[in-house]
Amino acid sequence: MVNVPTAVWINERGRIVRPNEVAFVDNRYKSMTQLEADEYLNAIRDWVANGEKSAFVLSEQELKGRIAPQNSEWAQAAAEFGLAEYLYHQGKSAASISHYKEAQRLNPDSWNYKRQAWALSDAERDYGTNFMKEVQKLNGKPYYAPRQLPEIKKQK
Amino acid sequence: MQKMRFLVYASLICLLTVINSFAAETVRRVVIYDNLVTEIGAPPASLISVDNSDLWVTLADLKRATKFVLKPQGVCRDQLCFPIPKKRRTAFLSQQGSVTWFNLSEFARLLRQPVAHDVETAVWYFGPRAEEQNGYLSSFTAPNFKLPDMSGKLHSLSEFRGKKVLLLTWASW
Repeated sequence: MVNVPTAVWINERGRIVRPNEVAFVDNRYKSMTQLEADEYLNAIRDWVANGEKSAFVLSEQELKGRIAPQNSEWAQAAAEFGLAEYLYHQGKSAASISHYKEAQRLNPDSWNYKRQAWALSDAERDYGTNFMKEVQKLNGKPYYAPRQLPEIKKQK
Repeated sequence: MQKMRFLVYASLICLLTVINSFAAETVRRVVIYDNLVTEIGAPPASLISVDNSDLWVTLADLKRATKFVLKPQGVCRDQLCFPIPKKRRTAFLSQQGSVTWFNLSEFARLLRQPVAHDVETAVWYFGPRAEEQNGYLSSFTAPNFKLPDMSGKLHSLSEFRGKKVLLLTWASW
């Protein structure tokens, strides 16, 4: 989860049926996002009414396509991040920086590692960048999981 | 002359860095294993490597920090046992007087478990293995996290079994 508002749907058995994605539930940012909140709210209502039969519940194949499996570098990145978090919360922020950097190096696509590190420090001083600069480098490509509701259901 | 002075200073800095990290490991170490934070005692000097790549712990500390115990069949926790490779037994176990020491970092390398280490503060973080994480992913079961409610009371996801959960992140700006 690297931005708000986003949401995950979890069914009665604790199984994820829609992984994290953009989840606007009103239209206050519609002029910026072009996203209609009603479409998402209707999808939630459909899931509540139809459960596993809802077309918004993703199949195993679709879930696999949206959730990337871990590899050894990402697992090491997670360990470096965990260590950095521990050090930071122990008041050792200077010591935490090299481990945040290592987590970012090992998993450069994770915006969790970037945003957390930048938010807890003087990003320009400690990381030579900042959030807005990095977002601009993406040229409009979202750094978070976009909303992907099925086309046919948008007309519901 | 200036070059010589620079080399002397550089050598001194390297030496001080090594001594400093060596000193940190000889005082106390912190092990974070399955998110459990445990402070453990220092090993004898003979078990501290110059590159700080090994974390030797007593069997009592091994149990306290990781819940693993040494058994004849291997290093075990609950029903799970990992045999120690016979040919490399000395890389894992060292008898120092009456105390048996276990190399927890070597054990992590055997399991392909990620380890992050901060030399200066002597903190060792053992993370979940990629295979372990992928076990969750293959079943798509959400990890059983805890979050506080508005009054600070913690709730775990498992409390909501039998109900649909919409986990929504928002900000209060």
